[in-house]
Amino acid sequence: MNIKINVENLKNYKIYLQVEQAVNEFLQKRGYLKIDLPVLSPVLIPESYLEVFETEFRYLDKKEKLYLTPSPELFLKRLLAYGVGNCYYFGKSFRNSDPSTTLHSYEFTMLEFYKMGADYMGIADEVLNMLRYINKKVKNTSQKFKFDKWEKISVTEAFEKYAKINEEELFDHKLFLKKAKEKGYRNDGFSYDDVWSQVYTSEVEKNLGVNGYPTLIFDYPREFAALAKLNKDGKTTQRFEFYINGMELGDCYTELTDWKEQDLRFKTEDSKRKKSKKISHPIDKGYIEALKYGLGDCSGIAIGLERLAMIFAGVDSIKKLKLINIE
Amino acid sequence: MRTNAGNLKKGEFVYHGREIWQVQRADFYSPGKGSALMKTRIKNLLSGKNIEYAYKSNEQVDVLDVQSIEMQYLYRDSENLYFMDERTYNQFSLPLNIVGDVYKYFKDGDKMFVYLHDDKPLTIRPPLSVKLKVVEATDAVKGDTVTGGAKKAVKVETGVTVLVPLFVKVGETITVNPETGEYTGRV
Repeated sequence: MNIKINVENLKNYKIYLQVEQAVNEFLQKRGYLKIDLPVLSPVLIPESYLEVFETEFRYLDKKEKLYLTPSPELFLKRLLAYGVGNCYYFGKSFRNSDPSTTLHSYEFTMLEFYKMGADYMGIADEVLNMLRYINKKVKNTSQKFKFDKWEKISVTEAFEKYAKINEEELFDHKLFLKKAKEKGYRNDGFSYDDVWSQVYTSEVEKNLGVNGYPTLIFDYPREFAALAKLNKDGKTTQRFEFYINGMELGDCYTELTDWKEQDLRFKTEDSKRKKSKKISHPIDKGYIEALKYGLGDCSGIAIGLERLAMIFAGVDSIKKLKLINIE
Repeated sequence: MRTNAGNLKKGEFVYHGREIWQVQRADFYSPGKGSALMKTRIKNLLSGKNIEYAYKSNEQVDVLDVQSIEMQYLYRDSENLYFMDERTYNQFSLPLNIVGDVYKYFKDGDKMFVYLHDDKPLTIRPPLSVKLKVVEATDAVKGDTVTGGAKKAVKVETGVTVLVPLFVKVGETITVNPETGEYTGRV
């Protein structure tokens, strides 16, 4: 890898700064507390689809493993449980095994905010207001999207509409894998999650957020619940993502507050990590302790700041926002 | 040779649905739900058609072993380009739609690499830069020189139009990237 200087991106970088400032203003006006957090942690939330960066603290003969945080969630949820109230983090997150491409980087800037008493659709309203605020504040924006409303579509509707996969086929693993095979996807030795993600990326995503408005796609199958609360149907989860121009910008959950359920999911995710030979790290038991202490109903969203700024700068790669790229 | 799709690179040749395709673009993509993917654009080397295909990054893909041999570009007709291996004098032909628009920047006699698989030509490896003589151009208008980035269109000896800086004149030889059609400098 080499260090590349890209001073020609100064104009785009300045738009990035305006987006950053608008986000801070918007959230602070609404009473969200900005929280500075460590990026090195001795424990992490186990997530089967993320690889982490491992490092070590050394002092004389003492050595202790530390991990760069792939998300600030483990810290923020603790603070929420112990009563900090509505809050946000704005800073670097790290994801190993994510090569640097137009939409990915192994280190990126994440905005994560939480609102007490809200569910995922409450956050959706807040995000739409934030997008409007940024659009008003950012000068020289060459973006052509309107933020008057969401285009809302459920995952079930989207699979029916764009991939011609009906509800029964979508949720039944056997039927889904059979249908995917008919469509030409390989399913030998692959899990439902893997093939689902391939069909979603190939056939659904490119249609989202392409009609001049951002699209909110909601209620993912329970296999993708992560830290989100399940819906009453038992099949889907209170998770939404939002898209502009076929690009995913944010991921929101109504937070799971049931510690037993969360403990179970941690174990499942941890065993998936072990199976796929990912870096092993201690599970964050303190997170479960915080849920045991009691987390009130709340909801939160993670938004990739670079991707958000791409929309307002009218560029097609996160690298075009940076004055220094490492490639 | 089999490899994980996550290792695919631009320019490689793969079997996809029993046919041979060339990777035009390969981008890692992690949707955060299910496995990471390799989003590719691949070109069918029989039909010339491009498709987008997202492989699971740990899906096995058959990559072809190919030879690249420097050849002389001889000429073209309405359907094919003809090349000669200068060591063996063997001639090979490749359809225009497989090679793509880059051929518009080639002059008879230019040297370039042709990819072969089992002695059959697959496509070419376009040169990074070609030298072309400017045959038609309008002179820069006086006073225009202040706008540093301004460009004008000129015609080069193969008949295509290239955007060049205003100071380029008829009779000069310029270098062009045939894949993008962009002016890169003067010889």
